[in-house]
Amino acid sequence: MRDPIKVLGISGSPRRHGNTETLLDAVLDGAARAGGSIEKVILRSLDYTSCRGCNACHKTGVCVIRDNLTPLFDKIADADVLVLASPIYSMGITAETKGLIDRTQFLWARKFILKNLYYPDDRIRRRKGIFVSTAGLGWENVFDAAFPAITAFFNTTGFDYWDNIIANDLDRYGGIEGHPTALMEAREKGQRVVELLLKMGEESELSAPKT
Amino acid sequence: MTPDVLAFSASPRRHGNSETLLDWVLAGMEAEGCSIEKIVIPEVDIRPCRGCNACERLNRCVQRDYMDYAHDRIIAADCIILASPIYCMGLAAQAKILVDRAQVFRSRKYVLHLPVVPPERKGKRVGVFLATAGQNWENVFDAAIPSVKCFFHVVDIPNRDVRYLMINGVDEKGAIERHPTARDDAGRLAREVAARLREVLAA
Repeated sequence: MRDPIKVLGISGSPRRHGNTETLLDAVLDGAARAGGSIEKVILRSLDYTSCRGCNACHKTGVCVIRDNLTPLFDKIADADVLVLASPIYSMGITAETKGLIDRTQFLWARKFILKNLYYPDDRIRRRKGIFVSTAGLGWENVFDAAFPAITAFFNTTGFDYWDNIIANDLDRYGGIEGHPTALMEAREKGQRVVELLLKMGEESELSAPKT
Repeated sequence: MTPDVLAFSASPRRHGNSETLLDWVLAGMEAEGCSIEKIVIPEVDIRPCRGCNACERLNRCVQRDYMDYAHDRIIAADCIILASPIYCMGLAAQAKILVDRAQVFRSRKYVLHLPVVPPERKGKRVGVFLATAGQNWENVFDAAIPSVKCFFHVVDIPNRDVRYLMINGVDEKGAIERHPTARDDAGRLAREVAARLREVLAA
């Protein structure tokens, strides 16, 4: 029996069970329905500091800070699906979420300076990254400035940035529950990503040489 | 009237590239007769916004920390400078903490419909955003700017009154010292902003 698809959800919202976390829960719920094993981490409940910019990792490949993010990076490395969720505050991701992303510098250093970390294309293809976000404002461009940091995060952690699950204009809808499609779409995508990875696993088993 | 300049240095690395750029600007403004104050964000206690939205009712933040002082200084200052390195294509998390805590000004302005600064000071304040990035990419600052505009906008400094000086391709500590134009650019910016402040404050 194959291991279940491991789905790790990370909420970067300071507010518990608000719009963003509810949308994340819907993704995880869909993923669980498809047989994924799910885990949710709430950044606000962790004790961690932001990157110090010391660049020590450029020489060692290891962060000098040991805190609650240290084991989280092991979980990220082990996940098949990584769902990063942040509300939009002041046209960007929250400081908590950015604090996590900035701490990936040691992985960046290993990839590009020390060159002792390499994600083969086939492995990246089997690891899917999803960005979940909500915004009160209805502006079309309200998520735009968040995407580059999210792209950097998935590149550095070795995930294929598969999709966004985003909902804006929530001030007008009176919250995520009032949004006409977001929660349903989130459940569907959560389910679909797990089904996709299961299918890819089966296909590679069929094509693998028999031993 | 002496222009009052309030600067925030967001970099966790002391005396690195973005702080050096800031120090050049501040030295230039001091030479032009401004009074300056520099707050090093990683060395003071400013905690992230909790997203509780209580400021929409209370007109103040529920958290009691260094932001109490910074809040009053943000209102009092004639010029506000934010200096941040670019990490992972965005503001350093330390800078985003300050920007997110400006939510109280946004609530005051748009929910409670109260003034942030008295009407006679509107249009007389100047904002400056200074940034450095290790990457050489042309677009490396693009995703930081919307949050910077938000920050200045909610403290009643419209984008037309915000100056930007952003230097890319400087990574290792001290790299900015070797940049061909950064120091001169900083000096020129300092003189320009000081002249503008003197003009609007005299009016």
